This record gives sequence, structure tokens and C-alpha cells, in this order.
Amino acid sequence: MGGACRAGPGVECGCTERSYPPYVHPRGKGKEILGLDTFVRPSRGEQPGNGSSRGQQRQRQGRQAPEPAAALEVAPAPASTQARGGAEISAQPSATARAPTCAEILTRPAGRARAPAWARAAVPIRPPLAPAPASELVRHEEPRGAEGGAEVGASTFPEEEGQVSARLRELTQRKKQRGKQNIHDIGVNTRQNLRHFIECKRGTSGTVVQLKTNHFRLTALPQWALYQYHVNFNPQMDSKRLRSVLLDVHKQLLGKCYSFDGAILFLCHRLRNKVTEVFSQTHSGENVRITITLTNELLPNSPTCLQFYNIIFKRFLNTMNLVQIGRNFYDICNGAEDMRDLRFNICPGFITSILQYENDIMLCTDVSHKVVRKDTVLDLINDFQRSGRHTAREDILKEIRGQIVYTKHNNRTYRVDDIDWEQNPRSTFEKDGSDISFLNYYRQQYRAAITDLEQPVLVSLPKRKKGPDGRLKSPALLMPELCNLTGLTRSMRMNDRVTKNIANRTRLSPEKRYSELQKLVDNIHRNTDVQRELQEWGLDFDKQSLSLTARVLPVQKLNEDRRAMSICCTDWSKEIKRGQLSYPKPLNNWLLVFNYENERLAQILWEKLNITTRALGINLRPPLQCPVEDKIEEYLKVLEKNITPQTQIAVCLLPNNKKDKYDAIKKYLCVTHPVPSQCIVAETLNRPQILLSVVTRLALQMNCKIGGHLWKISMPLTDAMFVGIDCYHDTASGCESVAGFVASLDTSLTKWYSWCFLQKPGQEFLDGLMSCLETALGAWKKNNKQCPLPKFIFVYRDGVGDGQLQTMVDYEVPQILRCLNSHPNYSYKLVVIVVKKRLNARFFVEKNGRLENPSAGTVIDVEVTRPEWYDFFIISQSVRVGTVMPTHYNVIFDNTDLTPDQIQCLTYKLCYMYYNWTGVIRVPAPCQYAHKLAFLVGQSIRKNPHKALSDSLYYL
Amino acid sequence: MVDSHVRGVQVKENIKFTPSLSEQRHKFVLDFVRKHKPQKVADLGCANCKLLWRLKYHESIEVLAGLDIDENILTRNIYRLHTGAGDYLDPRERPLTITLYHGSVVEKDPCLLGFDLITCIELIEHLEAKELSQFPEVIFGFFSPTTVIISTPNSEFNPLFSGKTLFRHPDHKFEWDRTQFQSWALDAARHYGYSVEFTGLGEPPPGAEAVGFCTQIGVFVKTIPNTVKSLHDEKTIECAHTTVGTVIYPSLKEEKYLRKAVSNEVFSQILKMKRVLLESLKMKNDNDNSDELEFVKPKCDESKNDPTEEIPKPFCIENVFYVPLERLFSFPKIKHLCGDLETLKMLIANEVMLSSDGSSVMINTVDEEDCDLSDNDGDDLRFV
Repeated sequence: MGGACRAGPGVECGCTERSYPPYVHPRGKGKEILGLDTFVRPSRGEQPGNGSSRGQQRQRQGRQAPEPAAALEVAPAPASTQARGGAEISAQPSATARAPTCAEILTRPAGRARAPAWARAAVPIRPPLAPAPASELVRHEEPRGAEGGAEVGASTFPEEEGQVSARLRELTQRKKQRGKQNIHDIGVNTRQNLRHFIECKRGTSGTVVQLKTNHFRLTALPQWALYQYHVNFNPQMDSKRLRSVLLDVHKQLLGKCYSFDGAILFLCHRLRNKVTEVFSQTHSGENVRITITLTNELLPNSPTCLQFYNIIFKRFLNTMNLVQIGRNFYDICNGAEDMRDLRFNICPGFITSILQYENDIMLCTDVSHKVVRKDTVLDLINDFQRSGRHTAREDILKEIRGQIVYTKHNNRTYRVDDIDWEQNPRSTFEKDGSDISFLNYYRQQYRAAITDLEQPVLVSLPKRKKGPDGRLKSPALLMPELCNLTGLTRSMRMNDRVTKNIANRTRLSPEKRYSELQKLVDNIHRNTDVQRELQEWGLDFDKQSLSLTARVLPVQKLNEDRRAMSICCTDWSKEIKRGQLSYPKPLNNWLLVFNYENERLAQILWEKLNITTRALGINLRPPLQCPVEDKIEEYLKVLEKNITPQTQIAVCLLPNNKKDKYDAIKKYLCVTHPVPSQCIVAETLNRPQILLSVVTRLALQMNCKIGGHLWKISMPLTDAMFVGIDCYHDTASGCESVAGFVASLDTSLTKWYSWCFLQKPGQEFLDGLMSCLETALGAWKKNNKQCPLPKFIFVYRDGVGDGQLQTMVDYEVPQILRCLNSHPNYSYKLVVIVVKKRLNARFFVEKNGRLENPSAGTVIDVEVTRPEWYDFFIISQSVRVGTVMPTHYNVIFDNTDLTPDQIQCLTYKLCYMYYNWTGVIRVPAPCQYAHKLAFLVGQSIRKNPHKALSDSLYYL
Repeated sequence: MVDSHVRGVQVKENIKFTPSLSEQRHKFVLDFVRKHKPQKVADLGCANCKLLWRLKYHESIEVLAGLDIDENILTRNIYRLHTGAGDYLDPRERPLTITLYHGSVVEKDPCLLGFDLITCIELIEHLEAKELSQFPEVIFGFFSPTTVIISTPNSEFNPLFSGKTLFRHPDHKFEWDRTQFQSWALDAARHYGYSVEFTGLGEPPPGAEAVGFCTQIGVFVKTIPNTVKSLHDEKTIECAHTTVGTVIYPSLKEEKYLRKAVSNEVFSQILKMKRVLLESLKMKNDNDNSDELEFVKPKCDESKNDPTEEIPKPFCIENVFYVPLERLFSFPKIKHLCGDLETLKMLIANEVMLSSDGSSVMINTVDEEDCDLSDNDGDDLRFV
């Protein structure tokens, strides 16, 4: 973890919480050294898991420009498309002729009408009182125009063919064909089956606190509605243009504020009659009868309307001179901060979406940053080639495969999938029936000059294999010289200077973040064009962000049984050093492997370990010392020779962080010769000031790997098994995806069963879930003689991509149920909760006149939740720097009688139990364990680890 | 009569042109623009704005206007013309303003006065007889641009199409044969002081050459220059068109973008030189273990075959790398952007550190990285 863990890079010690540093990703080489199993302390008080700026940054980046880090749980573009492909969300065609597309709504004359006379005070848009019937909800269409739609188009960029509406229509069709990307999971109603929560999903325990949010209510005039009409021409008019001209004549009837796409007409007022007939005359004098028939009255919270809001909002952002990159809007014109010697700009921007929340339709907006590099792909290629190494080509490909490039001539983004070294700018391709060279094409089409005639050609595969006409789409071929890099490449992400600079610019304090958001909304209210348009449509946004009442759960007590030092805080890194561990395991038989050059360092390590373990209450015997030559084979040889069935752990002190060495050792010790292992990079121990602290963490990490209990918490439920699931994807290399599955085996959450399974690349949902759960139940049986099957099972499912909720409901939950039902007479109580870390929701608390992060344990279950879910937010971690990222929990299955209070509290308690971090983390411990497991297996082992390891936390 | 020509020719089911005829028409205009480099161009009947979109890439153009009778189609398509991130990151050299107007081509609106080129691609055949009669007066007499390109279908070609409709498009009010078009055009040209040349696009299939091109084109060039006075008088006329939207592109004519572009280029060159220097230093150090940091002549590629021998070279004193402004100025791109040395100095003064005599840019050869490191250490200590 790059800069963050400077404190103790290399130790595999404690606290990995931050599983996914946005920029510095311990992937590839950097791994071991900087983080491999490691993690030490997030620098500057940034907390594990809290992700604030970095997480957030990564998230933003991840969305648009998939970077390796994103692979963790967000499948980067390709993966997610794949995964989503399967996630067919039943988008039933709406009852009416055809679902109107957003663009159609927008194709209206830019009139200058005043708001209608009946306009009075605006009111918040309320959903119908009763929860909508399922069928209705399922029909919801996502407001893809604003957000999702952008995917197809970074699309609003001018391009050869197609108007927005055409593209959107094509999209709608495609959606029907192959499942849509419903990025907000709109219309997936999981609450309807949770009978006991249909009425109320609010908890009551804890101290009440008032929070500010980043949500702004959308208000509409009373009785606001959108009216959908079908327009028929007789005689039939083929030309769409002609049709709109003919209809335009009747402005008086329609008002200025209408939208017409040639067949469907939207009005924001109702015509007197259901069917209206008017006549127009063509230029040639032909009389045309126009029949306008009301087909639908759309309520303010209907899916089409939501789509409509998002689209107009997107237009507002355009009006305010923000430039769209990917899904978000950035202030490139004025806000770009020039990181000159790093050769990139950081542009501030906004991520926005308008959705139906619990009571109101609201705009949720958050600050986002975009790195736009000044270097072109050609610069990068030249840099590599200058090095003159014979592997230059592979290195280049490794560096840029999967990167998103930005082509400024047409303002689009592409993902680089390959490099074609056989071609150069003089190569030709077929256009309009004749061959043209890239050189000439770009000169003619865009007046873009290509100066380097030796450069290769970049290949970008289309996201969808087939075009709207069903023909295969061919890959886009791009000139490196015309492609600007976006986001960060791997080597930049490993560069501390880069990441630190970015973190400094993008990590905003709550106060600063809130004021940026407020500024955006103020600008909306100040901009006359935007206001005029809002008025025309009878809409408005609240000037102030939504405030809500949340509750803070009390800090939980650890080690209440008094065996060990009791802890009552959210960060016990200091306490742990002073007190005894709950139930450490003595370490009697272990190996210390080091290369000859590090003999002295190994000695120091052993001495320091000896000192620190005494303080922690761990019994430690001297290790079997194995000096070795620094070669992969030598390491493996010495391990093979010295590991006995009694060996508890093998500690390897490595001179550097070569990934292949680390991978080889891990693979050997996880698969071939199952023994927990701990790798340390020598550099970590080379800093005397922090040595003791590093070694303490190391001792803790080693102890939990061999099965020691560092601390424990009392859970109010006995005989409950807590399961965590997370996925790892590595789409760039096309390797198999890994799903980690971790289940608790005792009431105090100290013992865990860990298993993982490998599946097709990029696949999010799990096929092997049944067998995993089955073996976990077997392990439970062994550990709990008095209660062979857990009474309660809580499944925390992390790594669910946007738009995959329906798949969870349709595919994974049934698998779990099938497994549980296969046990005769087993009356289980099951709760399945989807955990989401990457959110746009933010919360602020006002203290002493300043906005700060809410304290750890804050639960939010009102207003900003979604009406069709049983969901809540918990801020479990405490954060010192940046803005805290809440975690979202969505209960999609529950056959228990537990109250919201109980489920929230259990969830919060779980966040205390991650042994690799001496504090509360962002997600429940089983999720983080599952994540670590999947990450290790996906990154280094690529095989199922040996069964013998499944009851230890060897992957920390 | 036309029929007799065509008879006997094996006409395929559907005549198709590659590239498509509309693409060819656009290309015709673009080629024309490339050759004549007009600054102000208007497209009447711009519809989906595709031609405007392609025109915006032409450096010579500073003002683009589009006019259409259908406001809907303009609002729907104006997005094509919006600025994107690239336009800010790499601004045009010259300014560009694109405006879309809603209105009729036969309304006299001063907003279209003073143009270098007005194109009416497949426009006139959509005009009613009355409008058509006013058209030359408005275009040639009032707008009076330097050049006009008018294209329209050649009805002689129509029998080659398999369709049975009278016109190629239901909204066409007429389609002319070559004689009709040419006499109309010659008439107008004569009357308003233009010369006109005819050409066309879309070759007829072999055997039917006599029907001429599928699309006929007239290129009008003004022979009598406007008097200042006539322009002035007409300015007083009221606007008839409504503006649908205006897009202003950033350009290097604005100082803030120029400053940015120059300092970017300067930095990229300095960093390149610095890297070369550091590499050569490292190589030297590897070779002889002397600790002394002596100046090594950087291997600047440009200095080899050299008209630049007399230009001062970058040099290194202790840990500071000096790049003379003159050296920077010798890079063609920087020279092009700044024009003279003083401007260069003025533009980068706030962006870089200059040596005390102001002749060189100074930059540390040692990255600040090391300092950062120690900061971080301190920080870590506090928490550990």
C-alpha cells in the first residue's frame, strides 16, 4: 500500500484493512514490499477501510477507467459487462406501446415559456403512499440517460452516426435483448418479501444525532405529471422531420414545453380531451390529420420521469461548462489543477444521480476527481522503447492494457485491449468502400496531424460484440499519438510521489467537500438558463441539502470476560500493546528463512519478536533458522527440507519485493505444502525508529495466522454463523475470478472457516456457493458438538456490482436455501445482506460550527434509504483525515424475527473483529477476510489452497 | 427524352454510391474549405449539424453558423458541436464560435452578413415557389458572401432509380434537370455580381453517362466586392432568426490557454533534457566511481546535426539544472506558440523558476521525493 504504509511496508502485519488503496495497488511487483500481506498503518490517520479520499478516488476512477485496483470488487469494464450480461433484470416492456426514451423527452423545442399559471409553491415529489406493487416496480426503467447512458456514450460526443434518441432507442432495445445495466438496481424490490419490515425498517437504539447529507430534494409543482401521447398522421408521413414540423404548427395547443420524437409526445400539462384531432397542411398543400391520443400519465416518480430528470440535470451540468468524461462531469475549463512535473491535470468534478429515495426524489451528488494526463500513449511507448530492453513490447502492453484512453479529436474514451505492432499510420483500412490510411483518415476527418509514422496501432474491442443492426462490430483502431492517457498506470500507482500528490489534492475534509457540493447547487440556482428550463418544466431543487436524524450506537466492548485486557474504543492499537491478548497461541515450532545477506537483520527480527511477544503474552520459542541463497528454487528447497507436520508458521525475510518470488513461496506453502506463512521485506525492518512497532504488528499477524485469538467480542446471539463472501477479478490478464468464502465457527467470532472457489473470468455471482456452505456447515459441526447446525446464518455478501442485485435474489439466495433445505428437519434462520462500500452518499455532522465526520457507529436508516429495500447505512470506522465513506447494507433475505436494531447492532459488532487491524473497519470482518483470501488466491496462488489451511487465517 | 437515353442501359435494382452521396457532398465542401480557407462559414439547412461538426475541425474557420427552419432538429443535434475535454486540454490555435439559428433562409437577418462561404446543400428543392423566388435576393443580394455552394438533385438522373416516386424525397417541391438549374444559377449570378461554375457528384453508371451527375452543384464566387457602405446600411435591419445555441471554443488567442500550452511544452522539454542528463550522469558514475558531480554535456538529440550549435546548451551547477530560454525557444513548437523570446519569458515567468539574470529556467535535479519521505516518516512516528 504504497505511501500509506510506509510505516511498515513489508510486514505482513496487521491491518490490512485498506484493502484497496486506490492508487498504489499492491499488485504486481509492489506487492510484497509494499504490502503484500501487509499493511501497516494508513498514513496520516486515514483509517483502514475508510477509503475516504483514496477509496473514493479510486472508486471514481474505477468506474470509468478501470484500474487494476478496481478489479477487486468492481469488475472493470469488460468484466462488468460480462457479468452484467448475465444479470438479466426483468425489464418487462411497459404496458404502453413502447418505453419512451429519455432523448425523446428532451426533443422539445427550447421554448421560453413561463411556468404555467397554476404554478404555485413547489412541493417535494412524494411516492404513492402504499409501496408500489411488484409488477410496477419491476417495470421501472433506470434513469440511464443520465448515468448509465453515458456508458454507451461517453456518448454524447459527436460521432458519425446516430442522434441521441436513436442511440437511446437502440439502447432500450438492447436492454430488452440482453439484460440491461441497471446501475442503480432500480426496481429490484427485495423488501416486499420481508413481511416484518414492510411497515418499518427503522431502528431506535443509540444516541440520536442530526446529520447533513449530500442529497438535495427535487421538488415539483403540485399535481405535476408528465403526459405521454401517441401522435398519428393521416395520411402517413414518412419523414420524421416533416412530422415534427407539422405538429409544431400547433404550438398554441401544445404549449412551449413539449417533446416529440416523431411518434410519442410528452407534455407537462394535460390536453382537454383524451383524443385530440388537429389539421396541418404540408407545403404541397396536402391536408394532414393529426390525432393526438393520451396513452399514459406519468407520475413524478415514474421511471420515465426519473430518466427525464437525470437527462435534464446532465444538460444543466453541460450548461454550467462542466465536461463529461465517462459518467461524471468535470470542470476542465477552469478547475483543472496542473501537476506539472507529474505531467497530468487533476480536474474536480461531480458525480450525480437522481433517484427515488425513501420519501422523496433526490439529487445525490458527490465530488469526484479525474486525472487527465498530458502524455499520449505514444509518449509512453517511446519511453519504454528508449530503455532498449528486448521485452519492451510486452512491458508496454502490460502497462497500458485495460487503460482508458481519451481521444481529444472526437472527445471519446476507449479501453485499450491490445497493440498491433504490424500496423502503422500508413496502414490502411476500408472506409466507404475504399481503402484509406490512418494518416489520411485522421487528417481528412479531424485535421489531426500524425507525426510519428512508425507507431503501432492500438486496438479497442467494442463493449458489445454486435451493433444495433446485429452485425459484428469491429474493434476500434487508434493512433497512440492521438490518445491521451487517463487515470494512472500501474507504475504511476506504485510511485509514492504521485499517489501522495493525488491524495493531497483529492482528499477533502468534510467541511470542504460539503462546501463544494453546496457551491454546485448554488450555481444551479444562480444560472439563469438552468433556472429558466427548470421553471418551464415546473421543477426545482432544494437549496439546502437534506438533514436527517441518525443514531450513534455505543462503542462496543471487547474482551468482556476479563481474561484479557478489556477494550472500549474504536482504535485499540495502543491498548493492544499494553495488555494481554485474549487467547494467543504459543509459537513453539517455526521457521525463519532469510538470505545470507540478511543474516544480521534476521537476528534483530528474532530478538525484537522475543521482546514484543512477551508483552503481548505470547510464548515464543526460538525459530529454526534457515539461511538461503536468494533464488526462488533455493527458498522452496529449504522450505521443503525443513517443514515438518509440527511447523506452525514459516517466516520468510525477503531482500526485495519481487512478485514472482513471493508468489512462488505463497503458492508452495498454500497448495503443495500447507503451512501458514509470513513474508517480510527486509526494507521494512531497516528503520530503527519504527522497528518495534512493526514487529509488534508482525507478532500479532503471525499469531492470528496460526490460530491465536487476539481479542473477542460477545455476540448477543449464540449458535449463529456469520458468513462473508467477496470476489476478486483480474480482467486484464483474463485469469479466473476468485470468490472468497469465510464463515465463523464460534460465538465470539475468533475462529473462521475459509474456502474459496475459482470461476470464469469476471463472473460476479457464485456457482460454488452451495458446496462452500455445505463444507462450512461440516466445519461448524466439528466445532460445535452441542449444536451441530447453526441456528442463525448471516451471509454478508460483498463485491456485488452495480446492477446485480436481481442476480443475488434470483441466483445466489436460492443456492443458499437449497443447501440449507437439504438438511432434513433443519429450521434455520437466514439473513442475507448485500454490503456495498462504493457509494456516493456522504454524511456530515456539525460540531462547534464546523462540519465533521460522524463518529464511528452512526447508523442511518431513514430518508436516504430506498423504499423498495430493507436497507441502512453504518459508518463503523472512525476517520481522521478526509471524508468518511459510509457502508451500505441491504437485507435481501430474512426469515428471522430480528428487529432492525438487532441486525444493525450485530453488523456493527462484526466490524470490530478483523484481526489484521487494531480498530473498527468499514465492513464486517468476514467480508474483509473473504476479500483478503480472494485477493491472495487471485493474485498469487491461482489455485485452490490446501484444505488443511481452511481453519486458519493464513491469508492475512 | 431522358428515357430514351437511359433505355437499353442495364440498370441495377438500386443505385448505391460509395461513399454515400451525402458523404460525398460533405467531402466536396470540406475540400473546398481546405483549399480556400474561409474564416466565416454558414450552412443553411444544417439539419443534423453533421456538416458543421466536420467543419469545426478546420483550423481556418473562426465563425461557423447553422440555420434551419426546424428548431427541434437543432436542439436535438447541437450536442454534436459542444466542446469536450480535449478542446480545453489542447485548445485550437484560432478562436471558434459556432451559432445555430432557427429561421427561414429567405429572411434577411444581419447575423449572416459578411461570411466567406455559405453552403446550401440539398436545400433549394425544399423551398416553395415563393421562397425560391426570394432566395437569390436574400443569399446573393443581402448576405452576399464571398462564395456560395448550392447543390440540388439532377432530375435527369432519376429514371435510373428503381423507385416510382416523383421526387427523391417527399418534401421536395421540385427537382431540376441540368438546364433548369444552370439557367437559374446563371441568372442569379449575373444579377448579383457572381460568377458560377457547375460540377456534380455521383457518376452515372456506364452507358448512361449522358444523364450527368446525380447531384448537381453550383459554386458561386463574387466578382464585385462589397462596399463598406452597403454592409453598414443593412446592419440596421432587425434580426429575424432566433438563436438556438452558441458554442464558444477555447483557443490559444486567449492568454490563459496560451500560457498553459507554452508552459506545458516548456516543461515537457525540460523534463526530457533533465532525464537525458541524469541518465548520462548515472552512466558516467557507473563507469568511474568518481563522486564528483561534474557537468556532463547532455546528449540533446537536436544538437547533433546542428544548425543549433551556437544556441546555448543546458548546463548543470550542483543540483540545479539550467535550461537557457534561447534553447527552449529553439524548439519549433515553442517558437511557434510564442513568436518571440520576450513573450516566452513573459508567459512562463509565473510557472517556472528563472535564474537571477532571467536567461535560464532552473530546475532541481533531485526530486523532492526525498523530502517527502522524511515528512512521512515523522508522521508515521507519531502514530506508531
